[in-house]
Amino acid sequence: MGKLPTTLLRRPSLGGCLTSVSPSHSASASLASRHTTVLAPGPIPSAARHQQVRHATFVPRSRRPYQFTQLVQLSDGSTYTMRTTSPIALYKSGKDSRNHLLWQPTEKSLRNVEVDEAGKLAAFRDRFGSGWDADVPPAEAADVAPKDGDKAAAGGAEGKKTPAEPEADPFDSLVDLISAYATEDKNIKGGLSAKDQAKKDKKKK
Amino acid sequence: MASLRGLSRQARGLPLPQLARSPYAVGPPSRCASSQAAAESPSALHDLENSTLTRQQLSEEEKKQFRPWKRAADRKGSLPSSNYQYHPPKYNRGPLHPIQSPPSSDPVARDFVPGPFNHPRLKQTYTTTIAPDLMTLAYMHVPPGTPKKEPAQRLRGWDGSSPYHKNRALRGPRGGAALPLIERDITFTNIPAIREITVASYVPVAVQDPDHLLVARTVLLAMTGTTPEITKTKSNVVQWALRKGERAGVKATVYGNDAYEFLDRCVHLVFPRIRDYMGIKASTGDSSGNLSFGLTPEEIKLFPEVEANYWLYPPKMIPGARIFIKTTATSDRQARLLLQSFGVPFYGKIRN
Repeated sequence: MGKLPTTLLRRPSLGGCLTSVSPSHSASASLASRHTTVLAPGPIPSAARHQQVRHATFVPRSRRPYQFTQLVQLSDGSTYTMRTTSPIALYKSGKDSRNHLLWQPTEKSLRNVEVDEAGKLAAFRDRFGSGWDADVPPAEAADVAPKDGDKAAAGGAEGKKTPAEPEADPFDSLVDLISAYATEDKNIKGGLSAKDQAKKDKKKK
Repeated sequence: MASLRGLSRQARGLPLPQLARSPYAVGPPSRCASSQAAAESPSALHDLENSTLTRQQLSEEEKKQFRPWKRAADRKGSLPSSNYQYHPPKYNRGPLHPIQSPPSSDPVARDFVPGPFNHPRLKQTYTTTIAPDLMTLAYMHVPPGTPKKEPAQRLRGWDGSSPYHKNRALRGPRGGAALPLIERDITFTNIPAIREITVASYVPVAVQDPDHLLVARTVLLAMTGTTPEITKTKSNVVQWALRKGERAGVKATVYGNDAYEFLDRCVHLVFPRIRDYMGIKASTGDSSGNLSFGLTPEEIKLFPEVEANYWLYPPKMIPGARIFIKTTATSDRQARLLLQSFGVPFYGKIRN
């Protein structure tokens, strides 16, 4: 196994002070100390006695956790191996950089497109306008903003309104006007209307 | 065994132990072309081949003197037993000591670390694609023969108003002792790479409840695959009831292949699962090529290793962590270029 070079000699001049092995190491260093007591020629000079000697450097065993080789399957089906502390043999990821818009900006299917097969969302917009849309991307907001007749409902869409915007379809704005008129009915007693409540909640946020 | 090769075919047919016991007592050596040739020119091939065939036959006296059993009986000490195993020394006692540790590449050595067991995906991409691309991208043509521009002296000298200014060392920069690094150009000898990644977690609650430290240590151990070390508070903070030197943090550092794997895991498995993730703030960096970012406890949970046995950790005890990516780049923009090629997204204003 390992080779033990025994041909190397010790320096006789430092032999005397090398004998002072600390007690904790004396068991493993018994051979060395025996060696040096024999070699010590005579009275130790005072300079050598006070000289600092590095007796031993501890060789630590590395403390590592067990690592498994894990097969990782990304969401597009590609696989690779990884050294990990997790004992699971196969890691299937549902969401990773292969199906995230930040890493795949050209992927159309990852864009946030609303599914409106039954036309319910469109019907809602027809009735109440698009001021209720949560987060409108800037490109859409430009053509959404003029529809919004309700000046008080200055949501995110209103802020993004561009000044050089051509007039939108008058029918849409009319619809919005009607809906806005309908909600401004102050005759309702006992609290706020649903829209006012929503507006209030929005402001709180 | 070199001697065996010179023996005749009949002698080679004999069982090996017999030959090993007395290789030159087999009988009169039969004539062999190779041995004859060796005998003819003993001086030329003496160093190369010391065949037993060329040796003199032992006399009867010498044969009687050869008694290995007697030597074994007379031996005072005992030989190491058959189940003897070599153990390397626990302490290094200097290069002149008769007992030396085996090198760390030897499997019996105490500091032996096995591996590597795989070629990390990100490192493979780096060596095959990213490094050549970076080098090509940052290539700046200098016409041959252009005199090399020496960088200006950035340390301040002394005006010489006093005779004691002679031979005095130059002064440091104004406003601080730190001299910022000069950006080195990316050439074929200097392509930025990942040097190490440190994951640090500061848990001041651990002063009151040391269990937090244990959980933080376990989480970091699982995440990085190395044994973390405990860090201590640097200074007294009265408002936080902290005293200097208290154990209130954990850190772990990964190098080489492990660092690449850790970054790979972060970029491709953890970051995409963070809610509303925008990327790393582009203003990060210490202006010498080391970038860092932070992860909240919710984001630490997304690591596959933590997620694997998430129920083992006490809830609300999982710590956040700061992750420092140290690169060999000498400026932040080069480090950002490297990390962007690894797939790390950046957002916001760029500082330098």
